Amino acid sequence: MSVEIKINVNNRDYRLIVDEEDTLLYVLRERLHLTGTKEGCGNGECGACAVLVDGEPVRSCIILAAEMNGKNIVTVEGLSKVEKDGTVKLSPIQESFIEEGAIQCGFCTPGFVVASSALLEKTKDPTDEEIEEYLSGHLCRCTGYATILKAVRKAAEKTR
Amino acid sequence: MSTIAVGKSVPRFDAREKVTGEAVYIADIQFPGTLHVKVVRSTIPHGIIKSIHTEEAEKAEGVYGIITGEKADFLVGICIHDQPPLARRKVRYVGEPVVAVVAETEKAAIKAARLVRIEYEELPHVLNPLDAIKEGAPLIHEDLGSYFHLPTFNPKPGTNIFHHYHVEKGNIEEGFRKADVIIERNYSFPHIAHAQIEPHGAIARWSKGNELHIYSSTQAPFIVRSVLSRVFNLPSTSVRVTVPYLGGGFGGKSDLTIEPLTAYVARFFPGKWVKFILTREEMYFGSLIGRGCYSTLKMGFKKDGRLIAAKASMHFAGGAYGDYAINIVTGAGHNSTGPYEIENVYVDSYGIYTNTPLVGAYRGYGHPEAHWQTERHMDIAARELGIDPVALRLKNILKPGSENNLGQIIKESNGNLEASIKIAVNEIGLGKEKRETEEIARDHNVRIIKNTSKGLDRRAIPVITKKEEERFAVGRAIAPLMKSPVMATNAGSSAIIKANKDGTFNLLVSSIDMGQGSITALSQIAAETLGIPVEKVRHYRAADTEVTPYEWQTVASSTTWKAGSAVRKAALSVLDKFKETASKVFDVSPSELEVRDGKVWYGNESIDFKELAKGYVFPDGHAIGGPVIGTGAVVPHGLTYPDKKTGRGELAAEWTFGCQAAEVLVDRKTGRIRVRKFVTVLDIGKAINPLMAKGQVEGAVVQGMGAALNETLVYGEDGRVRNASLTDYKIPTPEDAPEELVTIFLETPQPDGPFGARPLAEHGIVSVAPAIANAVRDAIGIDLYDLPLNQDRLLEAIYQREKGKGGDK
Repeated sequence: MSVEIKINVNNRDYRLIVDEEDTLLYVLRERLHLTGTKEGCGNGECGACAVLVDGEPVRSCIILAAEMNGKNIVTVEGLSKVEKDGTVKLSPIQESFIEEGAIQCGFCTPGFVVASSALLEKTKDPTDEEIEEYLSGHLCRCTGYATILKAVRKAAEKTR
Repeated sequence: MSTIAVGKSVPRFDAREKVTGEAVYIADIQFPGTLHVKVVRSTIPHGIIKSIHTEEAEKAEGVYGIITGEKADFLVGICIHDQPPLARRKVRYVGEPVVAVVAETEKAAIKAARLVRIEYEELPHVLNPLDAIKEGAPLIHEDLGSYFHLPTFNPKPGTNIFHHYHVEKGNIEEGFRKADVIIERNYSFPHIAHAQIEPHGAIARWSKGNELHIYSSTQAPFIVRSVLSRVFNLPSTSVRVTVPYLGGGFGGKSDLTIEPLTAYVARFFPGKWVKFILTREEMYFGSLIGRGCYSTLKMGFKKDGRLIAAKASMHFAGGAYGDYAINIVTGAGHNSTGPYEIENVYVDSYGIYTNTPLVGAYRGYGHPEAHWQTERHMDIAARELGIDPVALRLKNILKPGSENNLGQIIKESNGNLEASIKIAVNEIGLGKEKRETEEIARDHNVRIIKNTSKGLDRRAIPVITKKEEERFAVGRAIAPLMKSPVMATNAGSSAIIKANKDGTFNLLVSSIDMGQGSITALSQIAAETLGIPVEKVRHYRAADTEVTPYEWQTVASSTTWKAGSAVRKAALSVLDKFKETASKVFDVSPSELEVRDGKVWYGNESIDFKELAKGYVFPDGHAIGGPVIGTGAVVPHGLTYPDKKTGRGELAAEWTFGCQAAEVLVDRKTGRIRVRKFVTVLDIGKAINPLMAKGQVEGAVVQGMGAALNETLVYGEDGRVRNASLTDYKIPTPEDAPEELVTIFLETPQPDGPFGARPLAEHGIVSVAPAIANAVRDAIGIDLYDLPLNQDRLLEAIYQREKGKGGDK
């Protein structure tokens, strides 16, 4: 069964016919070619596929595209801003991840920066409990997390 | 020495691509008209394939073809050729690929795969290596005797032993006769998963001119090329392997994984790209897994603590095919008795076929297994001897002038183990008095770099009330370590540097940056050698066997050290060419010239690199020289094959020494172990990029904590992996990072390393498990011998002690 949906992704409107069993992740990656969002598990276990839906972080691998009608979606590609002259301005969280060495292989990074962005939208001074709440379902096998935690704390300071 | 690029914590050059989602990984590559593969896997651990029914699947919508192993007349492998790309005649583990379904979409392939029926005749199976070597055990490879293998390996046809490595030093019988105290224990390290967040993938296309191009998530493009050109009988020029960004390797993407299967399947669809990406579930049995070692260690000591005899026997569960585990068996054998000088040594290390998924390289490569037994053993021995565990180790460690098990003499330039131990002891609070770490380093005349990272605060030490004193216990302990790379004697690296007319340079190597940061570190080495800012070097982002120069493979923590040496040589050859041209301009000998600040100098006169990059043009227009390209190549120094009888020889090209220490909080009521503080001290020669070097250690420590406390592949009786998901196979999460993570680097320069650097990457994982287990012993007086130290195991041990069995505190 096919369904028509209208969605806004990274400030662009799309009208799409999707299969009712297609996940949001599938549509983003295979239909819109936004491959910055990664599939690590396909089961909502690792967080690599996180995107913002109406500002809330969700796992795009276990949410159906058919349910996204009318939603505003932001992927990792939409976190940086492109100025009028074409220059790219990274978000504070993206900058902190670079500066603190919070990235190694980079495969989990899109999920972490998306979730961290949502956290910093909610509060400019996150407690460790709040950091845990937003990041606990995100897995990274490379960094041991300390640099990621530091990057989030530093980005919070920058945005305050 | 003042530097301009090396020793600086420059942020990684690929970070911007990765943080914006631009970096392209294997699954992100989308060619028009790509076909998709789904594999039907064996549902039994061992048996004969009676029949395969594909008629229904062939008729399913979108199906292009169904491929079986029938037409594969070759066996895959590097050191021993023992594996078909798809099962032929027999299956040897649950999860072995038997049929590949090729369809125009992934969904269609999945649906069609459900329609394939396979009938088997089951054979008896064996999962544990100790059972697999018993008389009458099911034989997993009847044809072991006919398999090709390199002469340095030692399979035993008619048994399940695919490799036996033996080391002998001194006289073990006499050693034990002279010993006052003899201690023997059994240890085990289960199968674990690499759990890279990126699943493996490959995309292959055969041209209609019979050339193969394969994109793969591999750490070893030249190994892949070599094997594919052998099995398909093609010249190296007709096989091209391209590697995009790699989402974590840890050894699990080294050697070969799914490339032979993908290339074999694609062979039937010339002109089409054929894509095969593993699911998360398949990551636990469809590629390589790690470890799986059962060992017995016996040590003999004099009363004064001198370790005079060690006998180790290690049995590795290598899985259904042995090629990838075969060198781990040797590597574990090399350093099986830890960083100690022992007069009499007798080591047997066995690689054994089991009806389980295939074991391959996993961060540490035999060394975590070896240190699990040895560093637990040293703690146990210290107690029996009534000697402080730190003092017992310091008495026996390898020092300059010591002879290791392999007959190699340790030099001062190999690194400072003694200082590493003393610093770790001080940092974890086991010293007699707390000293400044810098002061200890000064005593030993060694430079250090220290960093402390913080986990989440809410994991802060709970205030233990009087009432709870019985429940919680704190323990602290150390575990030293050493690791040497295990590599082919001719494991070469090479590099190309191209000079540009604006004073910038392109660097080409085939090392894979799987997160460890080689793109940045190798650029720093090139820039330092050329004497220019690091921003002027651009490292080619992919590895491509048709473009980038030869690299054995990106394993053994060897890239900074070995590929880095090749890069340094390439940069020096650029400078030689610059000088040669400049010498003609100045009309002097090249030896009279100097290089600094991006210029070649003769006295006070200089010529900019920019004027030399494309050759030099004189004022009248005539030109000399030509576009400058520098090349560099290295092989490890003086490695030999092991002696057939003693297993000894020049087998380790170098060592990285260090010491780890843990402070744990044990909850007797729940059996939960919390690592509050973890210290790693490593002598890495030179931190080319301290920020990234620290990242390697922190990542390795937390990964090692997973294996120490939680991770294990659980098999059903039928050999099926029962916990093939990230929910059931739990890896550390953000809240598991220790509250305090201390990393200290010592810098005793390595003479053959670029700017003194020696290997670093795996080392942070090597002694994590014994450091934690020793700290648990310190806390609650219970000795544990089997990993992981999960709550069930600890509660059971506490229960047994309370019943008056086991334990002795």
